[in-house]
Amino acid sequence: MKEFICIVCPRGCRVVVDDNMNISGNQCKRGEIYVRNELSNPTRILTTTVKTIYPEIPRASVKTSEPIPKGLLMEAMKEINKVTIEKEMKIGDVVIENILNTNVNIVLTKEIKRKEEEK
Amino acid sequence: MMRDIVVIGGGASGLAASISAKKKGKDVLLIEREDTLGGILNQCIHNGFGLEVFKEEYTGPEYAHKFVEEFMDLKIDYLINTTVIKLDKNNDDFIITLSSKELGIKNITARSVIISSGCYERTRGQISMPGDRPNGVITAGSAQRYLNINGYMVGKKVFILGSGDIGLIMARRMYLEGAEVLGVAEIMPYSNGLNRNIVQCLNDFDIPLYLSHTVTNVEADEFKKLKAITIQQVDERFNPIPNTEKHFEVDTLLLSIGLIPDITLLDDLYVEVDPKTKSAKINQAYETSVKGLFICGNSLQVHDLVDNVSKESTRAGISASDYLDGLVKDRKKIAIKPGKNVLYVAPQYLDFGWEDKDLLITFRSSKKIEKAIVKVYQGEALVYQKRRAFIVPAEMETLSFAYQELNQDQDLMIEIEEV
Amino acid sequence: MYDYIVIGAGVIGSCIARELSRYQLKVLVLEKENDVANVQSLANSAIVHSGHNPEPGSLKAKLSVWGNKLYEDMEKELDIPLIRTGAFVVAHNEDEEEQLIELAKTAKINQVPEFSILNYNEAVLIEPNLSKTITKVLSLPTTKVTYPWEVAFAAMENAIKNGVEFKKNALVTAISKENKKFQVTVNNKKIYETLNIINAAGVASDDIASLIENNVKFKIKGRKGEYFVLDKRVKGFVNHVLYPLPTELGKGVLITPQVHGEILLGPNSLEVEDKYHPTTSYDGLAYVKEHASMLAENIPFNQIIRSFAGIRSTSDYDDFYIKESLEYTNLYHLGGIDSPGLTACFAIAKYLVNDVMNVDQKYNINPNFDPYRKKRKLFHRLSNEEKLALISEEPLYGNIICKCEKITEKEILDAMHGPLGSNTIKGIKKRTRAGAGLCQGGYCEEKIMKMIAKEFNLSPLEVAYDKEETKLFVSETKVKL
Repeated sequence: MKEFICIVCPRGCRVVVDDNMNISGNQCKRGEIYVRNELSNPTRILTTTVKTIYPEIPRASVKTSEPIPKGLLMEAMKEINKVTIEKEMKIGDVVIENILNTNVNIVLTKEIKRKEEEK
Repeated sequence: MMRDIVVIGGGASGLAASISAKKKGKDVLLIEREDTLGGILNQCIHNGFGLEVFKEEYTGPEYAHKFVEEFMDLKIDYLINTTVIKLDKNNDDFIITLSSKELGIKNITARSVIISSGCYERTRGQISMPGDRPNGVITAGSAQRYLNINGYMVGKKVFILGSGDIGLIMARRMYLEGAEVLGVAEIMPYSNGLNRNIVQCLNDFDIPLYLSHTVTNVEADEFKKLKAITIQQVDERFNPIPNTEKHFEVDTLLLSIGLIPDITLLDDLYVEVDPKTKSAKINQAYETSVKGLFICGNSLQVHDLVDNVSKESTRAGISASDYLDGLVKDRKKIAIKPGKNVLYVAPQYLDFGWEDKDLLITFRSSKKIEKAIVKVYQGEALVYQKRRAFIVPAEMETLSFAYQELNQDQDLMIEIEEV
Repeated sequence: MYDYIVIGAGVIGSCIARELSRYQLKVLVLEKENDVANVQSLANSAIVHSGHNPEPGSLKAKLSVWGNKLYEDMEKELDIPLIRTGAFVVAHNEDEEEQLIELAKTAKINQVPEFSILNYNEAVLIEPNLSKTITKVLSLPTTKVTYPWEVAFAAMENAIKNGVEFKKNALVTAISKENKKFQVTVNNKKIYETLNIINAAGVASDDIASLIENNVKFKIKGRKGEYFVLDKRVKGFVNHVLYPLPTELGKGVLITPQVHGEILLGPNSLEVEDKYHPTTSYDGLAYVKEHASMLAENIPFNQIIRSFAGIRSTSDYDDFYIKESLEYTNLYHLGGIDSPGLTACFAIAKYLVNDVMNVDQKYNINPNFDPYRKKRKLFHRLSNEEKLALISEEPLYGNIICKCEKITEKEILDAMHGPLGSNTIKGIKKRTRAGAGLCQGGYCEEKIMKMIAKEFNLSPLEVAYDKEETKLFVSETKVKL
């Protein structure tokens, strides 16, 4: 038997799955879907930062464009930590394409643009 | 040159208020003490912003960017690297004293002021945490800024006090960047962070959560650096229970023990303050007891969702504009009071001089209640009620209703009934 | 080869160094901490007592009354912050009123220049928040409050200006005497030679003495005192220092207005095993709250921004122990300099130098001695016009770094440089108050860290809170070491 706290809405139902994969405790269908995902292939959005070469913007924030398997989070961090951004970029620009073969990109969530006086 | 509206603070709140006021045709000047706009959102690199306002989930910097873009498009006047060191009122006008490297010290005048200066983190000193006072005890927000903006880790063996969202978010963040996170202690018997954060920040990484625990000792080494902490279980009166000590060797204790509205700008003005919100008392137009002085965002009340900050501040900007247009007539106010199971309410006054606005009340319950009925009374009369399946102190609630038919002589009382 | 080595740079060591610099001497001050005034001088009530309660005839009595007077001169010479609060010692009943009268008699014998007994009705007119349970007070108008580490900085800066050498991070690890000279080993490595040693090492003074003596004549029993700090927004809540009646534990839990507007509550008085780790405790702080409440009504406890503890170097000797060693000539001890040490510090220095060591009979006056220390401008206290004038010369006065205390970039830069400049977060806080206010550095620590890195050409990874072992950061993310 496994217990989950559903995170889809603030209610946070305690959802229980028994050994026969029967799901109970959820107050809506989304809870069931969430728990089934958690059991088979839990995924997460990863948000972190990446280095840049600009001293006044030492780090820029990034995220995975879609959730990736939970088990790959630390691996993904390693890949992202290898990158150094070396040019001005906009929000949404791809920093790493298809990270760890997930078909998910790492995209920029903070504009990298130098102020006039820093150039 | 007399400005129409000066907005103090260029984070989520100030940006939204400036935008709505400017759209109403007013002259607006925004003052920001950092070198960039966006406020705390700049360091909140995680997801969860914008679900209500944009129907999409954004990270903090993305959410801020959307408002900054609109702010720039509207060509609103602003100053960065500028600190307001004094706020005064002379008859009907406000005198704002600015200080910056470029301007030196300069007084500017405005017909109205909106305070959106956010909040500050409660510190170790304010909760009188016992023990040594070494380096290594730092607020979670400060650690977040060092990590996300500057790229520095404050420690590698971390314990966190406080299970509010900032503490949970930092637990995950430190873990992902390679620190050992030994646990989170929470003095209440429940966490007041979002459930999604308990799952995604603690459970995902097997970081233990110690409910009904607090830090009861801090140990320093001979160089006055943090070397260990002790946590203990507490009883219903939050007194430590003997023989429940748990010892952790850490180099960092992050504190996520509460946010306090920053109203230090009000020091030189006589403004009514609500000890429950720790901020100025307002009427439904976000106006303080000083006419023309408005306050919104985290300076007014600590919000859980930035979306609500934006909505609130947008309304405040419109209120300031209406005030300047002379739309406030025949002021007459009644009080709005927190009753049974209500921790606080804002606004604390309903002023009938402000027309055509529904009364929007934000409040928090004092405890978790399932199957609740929120009731608004005027005297004995029940003027409004609403059912809620589920209310917790950690989530700010709102209710809204037309108020023009209410009598102008009796106070309102909000209470939450358990069914 | 030095004429004098002073061990310890708290207020006592610093004042002694300055007093010695009036003469043509080679003086070296050794301080184990990373800064002047980092132990006892850092954690106390900041009061310049009137001298009303030490035992008549004792050094404590004589030197505190004299020291209190000297503060008036030092305020001008060294630009030391001083507020003339006066004080009330309070009584709650007839029994205590009798003790008050005895105290007044002591004040008279000790030659305290001004004092009087007021009843509650008179006292409450000038101190409206006085506890209603009080019946009479002993008013001590010569009581003042200062800023203890500024006293030490001022004295040491002036001493350095007049030729004294100062070394920090210099722990004395061995002392020996050979051929009429002392050999003082620092950090187990470097040896300095000197004709005389002055042991002003505070809580460690008996340990220092035992480095060379077989039979140390005084023992330091650490007595801990815990305090609360109330935010400066409560300024005016009380205007006088409020004392209960003294007991054998000390002066008791006080309420003390501070120079920058905050109010201190405390201290308690607890003998402790570990004299090097002043810790705060639930019980200690609860005791402080309880006893402070006997002095004033409605204390705004919700304005507490900090609590701290200090250790008094109380000794088993009944008075200040200021004597030459009984085992070695030219070795002088200052032991048991607990309260009223801060009050007496200038007098202690003169007493030691003139009466005990007879320096004036052995050495010539330094003709270049300059008693004045340059006035430091507290920017936020200036008028707008004065501020504008300074900013036009120095635009960095316009850049506010600490928004809670309104401390400017220029003031912080000044504190970094100079003979007693600092490159640590704590050192900057002590010198400028940046980080000592409501948000306790939450806003400004990052900015100060960047300024330190820039000014001293350090990586942010090297910036420390105090000693170099207390760096702010352990690593930079995403960078291979």
